[in-house]
Amino acid sequence: MLILMMIESMLADLGCESIIAAATIAEALALIEGQVFDAAMLDVNLKGDNSRPVADALAARGVPFFFSTGNGGHHTMAGYEDRAILRKPFMFEDLTALFKNLLAC
Amino acid sequence: MSKSGEQKDAEAKVEGFAQKLGPFVVAAETTRMAMVFADATQPGNPIIFANDSFLSLTGYDRKEILGQSFNFLMAHCADAEALAQIKAEFESGSDCGTEVLYRRKDGSEFWAALFISPVRDKNANIVQYFASYVDLTKHKDELIQSRMLIDELNHRVKNTLATVQSIVWQALRTNTDPAVIRASIESRLSALSRSHDLLTRENWKSAGLLDLVHNALEPFGVSGGRAARIAIKGENIRFPPQAALALGIAFNELATNAMKYGSLSNERGSVLIEWKIERTSEGRRLILHWQEKDGPPVTPPSHRGFGSSVIERGLAHELQGTAHLDYRPDGLVCTMNIPAPPGALDE
Repeated sequence: MLILMMIESMLADLGCESIIAAATIAEALALIEGQVFDAAMLDVNLKGDNSRPVADALAARGVPFFFSTGNGGHHTMAGYEDRAILRKPFMFEDLTALFKNLLAC
Repeated sequence: MSKSGEQKDAEAKVEGFAQKLGPFVVAAETTRMAMVFADATQPGNPIIFANDSFLSLTGYDRKEILGQSFNFLMAHCADAEALAQIKAEFESGSDCGTEVLYRRKDGSEFWAALFISPVRDKNANIVQYFASYVDLTKHKDELIQSRMLIDELNHRVKNTLATVQSIVWQALRTNTDPAVIRASIESRLSALSRSHDLLTRENWKSAGLLDLVHNALEPFGVSGGRAARIAIKGENIRFPPQAALALGIAFNELATNAMKYGSLSNERGSVLIEWKIERTSEGRRLILHWQEKDGPPVTPPSHRGFGSSVIERGLAHELQGTAHLDYRPDGLVCTMNIPAPPGALDE
């Protein structure tokens, strides 16, 4: 909860005007279905569930995204090996750089 | 039905073997360690003795085992690496044995450590092999279990570090006075730590709401006899760890605010915290009220601070419900309306 609030406040500092968070896979899929996002940050694990369906939905709509994870290992999602991974705890500069990258292309 | 010559021959060998070794055979038969003897003079090293432990480990009857090739229980008979290991074990023997995956009669597989020693006749020729097995099923299960625990612990530590990072980030964003920054970080770290203690006592399965509230308010009641001014009413409804941590932080924010500005900041104010589960059109909801009274007159804050964001946005999001702060003149009221956790009973 506090981590999400920090991310939101970091993104607000970056000048993001609208930041929407989803806590579950179902919530994320409904949001992606309902509106257009410029970029997304996706935790590989949402409330204990692998977030692959969300990655697939984002990729299908061409929403640029990167992963975040609390795991130290090299757990990459098959098919998304080329996506950047932000590991917790993360540096403000890294988060900033990743979002700037996504929004530049 | 007549027995084949080969089988008769094998049975005669088994019989001779048992007679020759007398009491040792009885000992081997009754020990809890699974053992077999194999004939070193025949191709495939057929089994000529198997004890009861071996039979219960593998699920076979003795007559199904005797005369069979030594390796007939291997789960993957063509596993070249395992065969090479077994061969090496036959040739040299080792102190630690070799781990082999075997298959029971019922098809289930199990890992066993295999130890082989040669038995020699008086001319030093190897006539038999003595093999003992240690069932590694429990050991392997424990290894998997401890690997899972380590992964889970690592995940939790990383999340905790990120949470600490966010506490520091927020404290630095909203304050400039180092003493205030320190106090705000300490208070939140202490709240986080107390929630961890509570969850640890419950094996990180869940935490009860009543315990969570008591736990969060404990440091605020200890001095000045405030405990008597805090009333807590509700069932000990269980929440999963993530939700429990969020609630712990939220109650710490509410209590901190009450101590600084609210009904716990004077000599006579009080707080009532009560909750119940209600059936609504949205399903079963847990409705919680944090109600302050007899504190100094309340004026709504000019801007929303971290504490109120944590409750109205953070907690609401985490628990998939709503949490609202109402700055009533006679006392702050916080109302949470969240889905009742599965398993919580109606009142």
